[in-house]
Order: sequence, then structure tokens, then C-alpha cells
Amino acid sequence: MTLTLQGVGYRYVGADQPSLLGIDLELHDGEVVGVVGASEAGKTTLCLVASGLAPRTVGGRIRGSILLDGENVDAWPMHRLSGRIGMGFQNPSTQLSQVAGTVFEEVAFGPMNFGLPRDDVVARTWQALHALRIDDLAERDPQRLSGGQQQLVAMAGLLALRPAHLVLDEPTAQLDPAGTRLVADAIAALAADGASILVAEQKTDLLAEVTARVVVLDNGRVALAGLAGEVLADPRLTQLGVSPPSAVRLRRAAEAAGIDPARLRG
Amino acid sequence: MARRERLTDSSLKRRGVPESVGHPGPSAYHRLNPLTKGTLATVTAIAAVVLGGLIGPALLVLVAVIAPATVAGVLVRLIRTALLLALPIAISAFLVNLFFFPDGVTVLVRLGPITATAEGLAFALEILARIVAISGAVTLFYLTTPPADLVVDLERRGVSPRIGFVANASVQTVPAMVERAVQITAAQRARGLDTEGSLWRRVRGIVPIVGPVILGSIAEVEERTMALEARGFTRPGRRTLLWSPPDSAFQSALRWGLLVALLALIVARMTGVWA
Amino acid sequence: MVELRAEGLVHIYRTGDVRALDAVDIVIEAGERVALIGQNGSGKTTLVRHLNGLLRPTEGRVLLDGTDAKSHTVAQLASRVGLVFQDPDRQIFAGSVRAEVEFGPRNLGRSGRALRSAVADALTATGLAGEEATNPYDLGQSRRKLLALASVLAMRTPVLVLDEPTTGQDARGIERVQGVVEAAAGEGRTVIAISHDMRFVAETFERVIVMRAGRIILDGSSAEAFAASSWEALRSTYLQPTLAAEVGDRLGLGSTPTDAALIESLRAG
Repeated sequence: MTLTLQGVGYRYVGADQPSLLGIDLELHDGEVVGVVGASEAGKTTLCLVASGLAPRTVGGRIRGSILLDGENVDAWPMHRLSGRIGMGFQNPSTQLSQVAGTVFEEVAFGPMNFGLPRDDVVARTWQALHALRIDDLAERDPQRLSGGQQQLVAMAGLLALRPAHLVLDEPTAQLDPAGTRLVADAIAALAADGASILVAEQKTDLLAEVTARVVVLDNGRVALAGLAGEVLADPRLTQLGVSPPSAVRLRRAAEAAGIDPARLRG
Repeated sequence: MARRERLTDSSLKRRGVPESVGHPGPSAYHRLNPLTKGTLATVTAIAAVVLGGLIGPALLVLVAVIAPATVAGVLVRLIRTALLLALPIAISAFLVNLFFFPDGVTVLVRLGPITATAEGLAFALEILARIVAISGAVTLFYLTTPPADLVVDLERRGVSPRIGFVANASVQTVPAMVERAVQITAAQRARGLDTEGSLWRRVRGIVPIVGPVILGSIAEVEERTMALEARGFTRPGRRTLLWSPPDSAFQSALRWGLLVALLALIVARMTGVWA
Repeated sequence: MVELRAEGLVHIYRTGDVRALDAVDIVIEAGERVALIGQNGSGKTTLVRHLNGLLRPTEGRVLLDGTDAKSHTVAQLASRVGLVFQDPDRQIFAGSVRAEVEFGPRNLGRSGRALRSAVADALTATGLAGEEATNPYDLGQSRRKLLALASVLAMRTPVLVLDEPTTGQDARGIERVQGVVEAAAGEGRTVIAISHDMRFVAETFERVIVMRAGRIILDGSSAEAFAASSWEALRSTYLQPTLAAEVGDRLGLGSTPTDAALIESLRAG
């Protein structure tokens, strides 16, 4: 199922400037697309719009169209969209429902809300836990897990709804290196399974590992878009307020000093 | 999503719901349906008020509080908790009635301007018995019924899940706000806010703490709401429940029986059949 | 300028019997730039909270220029040690940027011209000059974090402690923070930062202290901390050396924590 944004613009309630302008974006089945940009460039807004939370839950005005497999979803209510597009947030603990005593119940929360038959709920929950390799966390108390683990539980909770696409807004922003590693590995595993993910991140090293395509936002518009390898090595990245991956930076420093980058490979 | 479908993976299918989910209580009393336990507590409390004298409430406490508590193995905890709950009210109610009972005539002891009377003592004891019965009944319910059990049971009977959710979330908000307030206080103290000085200084210091606590709590509620919506919480219609506390025809009959008995007791008292 | 010393510092939180700090000894001279690294729970935050009295030792002592911190209140210590917390939203309360930044120095008794210039300097250093009247919540997350930094900078303390100053920051924000650290060090102020951003650590700090389970497992120069011999210690606390350090080691160039150091070695060699 393809998620398409056509000429999408968005303005928050009470804002005098739009936060997004003329966004054209396509997310196909089995693709992982990264979104980068300076702070306030519109990454979070893009995630909220792509998942439908803006304008449905957040308010505000949207322009342009959002299509799922060619069908316009403007009129879809939030609960219908949440079955197709799952959104993950930066803060690991605010995504927990707080009514689940175990990780299993936490992950089952979504399917339970959809009134699916009990067997289905159980099967989907185990599948989601398995896809994220957190089967052994099933009986743990979600509120006692580390930030990284909580993010994985949150992602499993989204996956249990079998969404067509996953939208993740800076999932590692509040995590320590161990947590970041956990989430990065999970995204890579999901990608290998053929998942369709839109992930906004500041950490370009992480995106270099897991994404196929990258979109660069600048002041609410798409400034650059293309294959991850090309975009992340683009010299304009720094001006746009994004720090290139370590390898790219090192290579550039070498070139600037007149040293052949091949020497870096030793 | 173009993922390998795993529904045919038999090992995943064979796994049921993990043991920890909806774990049955440790005793036969714990395993009673929450509504049954709740009905028992409510009927006991009301009956204690309606019944006069000392013997009635005392019997109630024995049969409806102490006996089940023993079966449930929570007797010691119950006594401790119920006492804690009831003590302040009990002491003040007892003393007020002992010394200031309006129809008191027979003097027991005189302490300066105030007098303890025998009639006052009798009444005070009756009040005490009722307080003990009520706090005992409520505590027994609280100790043998996890809130999640009650919420899930109500949902099964048709109560909107949002009600249970709001109740649960409200309870959880308090420790979260306290923790936030602690953090914010530390940050402001690190900027020289004086929390160890004079009372006036400490009062002035409330604004830099309360502001961020409230704003932060509101922002957190917004985020939580979005996350819940993103998982279909606002979808109309019934939810599937993974488990719910078991109920039985016998328990249902018992609940109705208790309610009828209570009604009969109230009528009997009101019409003077039983003085 | 202030010398910081911890002697046999032990801290056990009231809630448990875990030694959050297990007999830590440390000396930080005035003007040093120190990075404190280690995973969550290693004791870094516990340690820095002893420096301004928010936490008091269970055993051992903390000395500022030879005086025991015990004899001062937190409000008094705030004039010597400024601590910037990780989450700006757990601190910001004022309706305007100016009021927010004024709060700290006012508490320390500054007023009039001294106050105005402290605030102006802090805003310039963090790129917020011109936003005096702006509501902090109209600034983005990244700039609010810089605002929190500015509000402690304005206190002009001889010691500056930063708790994860670069998390949630974009590239420009990180550059600003680096600028602030360098300027502060240039004025002879001590700067201590807790961070897990290894590149930021390598590029900005001359001394690196690695903590694990309440103890210091490594304390040395940046070059020592990123040398291959230290990698095992780093990895034991879930940290990775920088790419420059890894490449430098692979090419047999010794310890090259930063891109610049690596390039220098290649040029020389």
C-alpha cells in the first residue's frame, strides 16, 4: 500500500506561518525513508500529518491531499487511519497506556480497541513482540523498563495493528547509546522483514544504516530528496543545518586538507 | 505491510495469554468476582449503620469482615490498614460523644468543665462499632481486589472503557506530578531559588515550581492523548478483553440475596418491627 | 576560580541499598574542561548533584576551594556552581525570555547594569539576542534548551555543569553549545559536561572521566580515553569510540579522537 502526500501544506492552530508547504512524498511498501532537517524544519509536523493526527487530533489546517493506494483519506476518522498508519513518538514513556500491568497487555491494547476476536488479538500480540525480538519482555511491567525497551514496546504496540506504514518521530532522541542501538537494530530488523517506515531523525549515522531514501526538510519544504547514500553525502546538507554521517564528514575533512580519502581506508 | 505472514507459525499460535495476565487471586475469597466483593462491602457498611446497638455491628464485623479476611489470609494487614484508616475519625467521634452527649445524665468522670457520661459512653461505643464495621468492610474489598480487576469487570458488563481508563490514569497522574515537581524544584534551586530560607522566601518560590509542573503536565496529557488515538482508543464500539474475572450464577444470586436482605433490614427498622 | 574535590564520596539513595556512588575520589582544577561519560545509572548525575549541594554525601565529602560543601545551602552554592538540567521544560516558567534569564542572577543578588549585561551576554552567546520579549514556548525545543543554558550562563558562576547539553539539539545548536564551552573555558571557568555524544566529547573536552556502577573506571586526557586500550572500558558502559579514533587505530596512527586529529596525523605521517 502506497502512502502519498501531494502538495501537502499544514498550519497549526493560531500560527501565522504554515509549518509545511508543498510537500510531495511517496512511501511504498517495504521502504524505509528517512526525514532530516534542522530543528523546527518540520520533521515532527510531517510525521503528524502523514499519520493523520494532524489535523484530526491536533487541529490546524491542511492543504493538498493524502492518499492511501490512490484513495483520498481526508474524510477518514482517526480510528480508521490508526489501523493503517501507526505513529511512534520521541518520549518512550508517554506512549504507554498506563493501564497495562504487563508488556503483553500493553501491546495488545491496540487490537483490543479494535474489537478483534480474542484469538486474533493474542496471535497479533505475539507476532508483534516476535518481530521486535522482545518475546522475553512479555510478562514484564512496562513502566519499569529502560527507555530503549519502552520504545520497542511502543513500536510493538503499533505493529500489532498491522499498519501499512509506520511513522516514527525521532525515536532515539531521548535515549542513551544502548537504547539507540536497540531501536536502530529493531528498525533494521523490521526493514529486513519488508516493513514500510518513515523515520525522522537527527542522527544521520543511524539513517545511513537503515534507510533507502532520505528527504531533507528546510523551513517546511522539501529541500533535497533521493537515495540515502547520495543525499547524506550532499554538500548542501551542512548549510541546511544537518550534520552528515561520520564517514562523510571524515572524508570531507580529508579532502579539505588535501589528503586522498582512499588513505582513510588503509 | 509486505511482511512474511507468520500466522501459520504454529509455535506462535500455541502460545496463549501469558500467565501473569489476569492472574487469579491467591485465595477463594480473592477469586470471587469484584462485584460480589463490592456488594458485600457495601451491604455490610450500610447494614452496620442501620443496625442499632453493639451486638449487630459486632456480629457483622465477625461474619462479613473477619471471617472472609481469615479465608483470604489478609487478617493482619486488614487490622493494621483499617485501624489506620479509621483511627482519626474513631478517636474524635468517640471523645465527642463521650463528653458531649446531649442526653447524658449518669456522670462517670469529671474533667474540669467537661463531663463523661454513661449514656455518652454507650452511644460512643455504638458509633465506634459502626466505624469499625465500615472501615473493615471497605478495607477488605480494597485488599482483595486489584483496581484493574474491577475496571475490567465493569467493562465486561457494559461500562465504557473510558471511565475505567480515566480513573486509572487519574491515580497514576499524582505520582507523576510529584516526581515532576521534585525535578523542577531541583532545577530552580540550582538557579539560586531559596527553599531553605524564611517562610516568605519559600512561599515566593512556589511560582517557578508550579508553573512548569502544570504546563508540563498539560503537555504530557496532549502527548498521551495523541499516542492513545494513534492506537484506536477513540474507536466507537466494544473492545475485546483478554480476560475478565470469572462470575457464576451462584454469586449473582448471592449478590441479589444480600441486597434483598439489606432492603428487608431497612424496612424492618423503619417500620419499627425490629427496634 | 574554584577547585572542586570529592573525597571518598559515597551516595546511597534513601529508596534502596544501591551505592549510586561508591567511594569516588576526584579533583578538578579551576578552568578544566571535563566530560563525564557512562551509561544511565553509572552515577554521573548523582555525582554532579553533589557539586551544588542538591545531594549530600552519605559518606565522604565534597570540597569547593577547600571548604566543605556541607556548610552551605544549595542557594549559596548556586553562586559558585551553575547546573543546567537536561530537560528545559522542567525549569522554564517565565513568560518571556528575558524574565527567564534574569531569574538566576536575580536570586544571586544582581541588579541594575550588572544584571542587564549578564543577561545580554548570555543571550548573545546562545544566539537568542533579539528574543528578549518572546514567550519561551514560542521557541522551538532546540532553542528552549539553549535558553535553559543562557539562564545559567547569566549567573556567571566559576563552575558550569551541563547535563546532556546536546541531546535534542540540531547541528547548529551543538555548535552553539561548543562555542559556549570554549568561551567559558577561555574566561577561566571550569566546565563539566555529562554527555553520551562521543564526537561532542572528543571535540570539546580535554579530560574525559568514564563512570560505571558508581565508580570511575577511567580518568584521563581525551587522547587516552579514545585510545584503543580504552575501548574495552568504553564498550563495557555501552559507549563507542568515534569513527576518527577507530580509523586512526586501524591505520596505526595512535589515538586520534577527532577528525582533525586524524587528519593531522595523516598529514604528518
